[in-house]
Amino acid sequence: MSETHQDSGGSGDFDLTQFYQIFFEEAGENLDLMEQMLLNLNLETADDETLNGIFRCAHSVKGGAATFGFADVAELTHQMESLLDKLRRHELQPNAEMVDVLLESADASRSLLARHQAGGEGELTPTADLVRRISVLASGHTSAPAQAVQARVAPAPVAAVSPAAVPKVQTKHLRSLEICIGPLERTEQADAVQELFRDIPGLGEIAVLPIEATNKRLFAVQTESSDEDLLDLFAFHVSREYIKITERVASGGDVVGSDSIVVGVAGGAALGASDEAQPGAPLAPLPGYGFFDGAPGAPTAVPEGTATESKAVKVAPKVASPNVATQPEAATIRVAISKVDQLINLVGELVITQAMLAQNSRALDPAVYQQLLSGLADLDRNTRDLQESVMSIRMIPMSIVFSRFPRMLRDLASKLGKKVDFVTQGEATELDKGLVEKITDPLTHLVRNSCDHGVESPAERLAAGKSETGTITLSASHQGGSIVIEVRDDGKGMSRHKILSKARERGLDVSDQMSDAEVWQLIFAPGFSTADVVTDVSGRGVGMDVVKRNIAALNGTVEIDSAEGYGMKVSVRLPLTLAIMDGMSVGVGGEVYILPLSSVVESFQVKADAVSTVGQGSQLVKVRDEYMPVIELEKIFQIPRFDFEKSCDIMVVVEADGSRVALLVDELLGQQQVVVKNLESNYRKVPNVSGATILGDGKVALILDTGALVRRSRH
Amino acid sequence: MGMMEKIDEMASSEAREYLTFRLDQEEYGIDILKVQEIRGYEPPTRVANAPDFIKGVVNLRGTIVPIVDMRLKFNCSKVEYNTFTVVIILNLRSRIVGVVVDSVSDVMELPPDSIKAAPDIDSVIDSGAVLGLGSLGERMLILLDIERLMAAPDMGLVSGPE
Amino acid sequence: MPLILAVDDSPSMRKMVSFTLTGAGYQVVEAVDGQDAYEKAQSQSFDLVLTDQNMPRLDGLGLTRKLRDHPQFKTVPILMLTTESSDLMKQAGRAAGATGWLVKPFDPARLLDVIKKVIR
Repeated sequence: MSETHQDSGGSGDFDLTQFYQIFFEEAGENLDLMEQMLLNLNLETADDETLNGIFRCAHSVKGGAATFGFADVAELTHQMESLLDKLRRHELQPNAEMVDVLLESADASRSLLARHQAGGEGELTPTADLVRRISVLASGHTSAPAQAVQARVAPAPVAAVSPAAVPKVQTKHLRSLEICIGPLERTEQADAVQELFRDIPGLGEIAVLPIEATNKRLFAVQTESSDEDLLDLFAFHVSREYIKITERVASGGDVVGSDSIVVGVAGGAALGASDEAQPGAPLAPLPGYGFFDGAPGAPTAVPEGTATESKAVKVAPKVASPNVATQPEAATIRVAISKVDQLINLVGELVITQAMLAQNSRALDPAVYQQLLSGLADLDRNTRDLQESVMSIRMIPMSIVFSRFPRMLRDLASKLGKKVDFVTQGEATELDKGLVEKITDPLTHLVRNSCDHGVESPAERLAAGKSETGTITLSASHQGGSIVIEVRDDGKGMSRHKILSKARERGLDVSDQMSDAEVWQLIFAPGFSTADVVTDVSGRGVGMDVVKRNIAALNGTVEIDSAEGYGMKVSVRLPLTLAIMDGMSVGVGGEVYILPLSSVVESFQVKADAVSTVGQGSQLVKVRDEYMPVIELEKIFQIPRFDFEKSCDIMVVVEADGSRVALLVDELLGQQQVVVKNLESNYRKVPNVSGATILGDGKVALILDTGALVRRSRH
Repeated sequence: MGMMEKIDEMASSEAREYLTFRLDQEEYGIDILKVQEIRGYEPPTRVANAPDFIKGVVNLRGTIVPIVDMRLKFNCSKVEYNTFTVVIILNLRSRIVGVVVDSVSDVMELPPDSIKAAPDIDSVIDSGAVLGLGSLGERMLILLDIERLMAAPDMGLVSGPE
Repeated sequence: MPLILAVDDSPSMRKMVSFTLTGAGYQVVEAVDGQDAYEKAQSQSFDLVLTDQNMPRLDGLGLTRKLRDHPQFKTVPILMLTTESSDLMKQAGRAAGATGWLVKPFDPARLLDVIKKVIR
């Protein structure tokens, strides 16, 4: 198998390298599509459309690879294509082994292409074993990867494939026949004969040949069946006396007896016989061409003289002027991320400027400045719309994140000997691109955990009265200003008792009175991330604290719900928009703080009798029927108070992380859109603060992390 | 890097330009290439639970920048905020920081041979951050490795492991 | 300037063929599959049709048959570009009314060569 890349660009002035990038992208998409279709293939009732689709993917990659000189990829995909061709013609029934080897071959093709894309650097993926397995499967046998097989396999080039790999079809003699049917009153009967070849796997191949008589049909047939068998078969549609079968000599060159084909190059002849035979055969070496004698538009067989040349088009050596009609409009365009980020920044600046104008114009007399104020109101609306549009550019659907899991789970489940169904919900839910990259690792970890430690083995499941196959569900949805991603499994869940005793062992302060939710949260505690905990408890100790940290870094939260014996659910909640949010500004001691409007439930003036003190100075406030903790921002942020007259008498109830708290503030200043600025890029993470923003007057205000405040109040 | 090695390193390079500023009675010099701009002082937004020398954060054309008062950090006797008070905005590779100083003088070019090692005195400044003493006529400048100074954990700008 | 209709569902192949042909002075219209090609043929007249075989919706053979049924395209040269060089495919091509065939991968120089033989 060729390791080098032929430079097709060497043919004259044709530099094909400019098309490489298009081909790499196109091939990548085809291989991805192929993988997806293979994973979704129903082995029992494989439908034609899917089989054809998978075939076309391999065919397309092969064609491009061959054209652009990537011989190793062309060779491998050619083998895949041969197997897929048999599958789509129903000559073979698809099975799991075939899917496996095709998936592995697609992977190998990808890495070979990547190597070419990187200029030929890097390790060369071995493909000899894959090719061997494909040809064994294509011949109707079962195949095992090289490790399982002893010295039977020749690692040498494809051409050396052992005779055992020769397809079953060849063990009988393949005959080339010419079948004439007629004269018929209704020629549809003869057409029905063609259907037989389509419907019956392994019967052979049939092609229509032109014939003068209109009440007759002529076919070229390749089959291993005997004349008798064929006549019996055709009897369904046409009586024997109207069928005439003659054998053709299957020559290496032109096959048709009556009409001649003008072959352009000697190389064309060599191609005639080679291709249909064995799937193990290497690609035809020389491209050929030819014209059908007497076909419309065909040149006469007279040697070309100057006569034809003078009519030929002047070959202009000029640069190719793209006089090409465009194909159907592309539905998408590719844009550099940096451009999008720049756009978002600019829109952010626009929002700030607009807010400043709005603030400064508040003092204006509406009667006098009516037009200006109405213009500013329009500006406000336009800016809001623009901002929404721009933010949505960076939003991509969760399906991008979900797409890696079917394959990963299939491989993992098979390795662990488990049966797992993978279900996704809410693939269309959109997420900021920056988040997508960061959420993939934690989610992968959670899904792996469910498969590894959650879902039991088929035997265990049956013993527990469950179905053999477990289900892992991955779902995404928008809730308020957040996106909620859940990983659910119907496995064995977590044992409260075991976690508590393990926690005590590790010296953690726990009590039996802890709610279930609090117990589950223990597995995030640093003390749980050790290997021996993996086997003892639910086996979910490893890496969970990393998952939680990663999610917290995105200003998100993780919640766990579990029922022993039934399963487990991990919910990840992330804020949707990173850059711009609706905020409520509050004043405490002369300082301004911003609360995310999506967390604010209500606000009210506090009455002294509604507040009660418990424990070590913590306060609770009664809101209708509910008691909730009070958080004095003045204390938490050590806000210096100069005006002893004024005091905090307004409570703002916020909800985050599933609980509510009441924040004690001096005054409510208003609501506005704020551009969230990162505090950590130049400074550091500040507790209870999620970011900063610039107010209309140009001053900085801190944005409060309501989740952190709520969690703080819990103990 | 020890003091002598630093001097050697500087000696082998060409003359550099230093922005000079004043803290109390002392004059300091920092690499001009690290200076982004110079602004007047405006009260920053306070950030809770920060050391006293971190005054807070300000808005620098859309970017949030922390402000460190060098006079407080170096325990200067007099700390005032008046019309001469200046904030030097530094652009240090991965971060932008503002430092409050009493005043800014000029930019000086110092040939390497005019820089001498600073004696190892017990001072507030980490000796590792002092590049040397530069002299120009009557004036003596304490040359600072401002990048290293700002990255030091006790400066409170860099988060340690939580 | 002769107008050529280039039909292939693979963008890289299309671009390559298109580039080769325009560089030689031909005008090219691209189509992504047989159906697209047939639709385009309704509104313009081509001097040559170059078509791939394996395409979704309508394949090369199907396109050829449809074009031959159309009064305007009874005699226009139709060349099939195909990686399948089996005799059966050639037979089918001829039966459908194609003028000739060219096996992929092909040399751009050969493509131009072959085209020169048939274009009027």
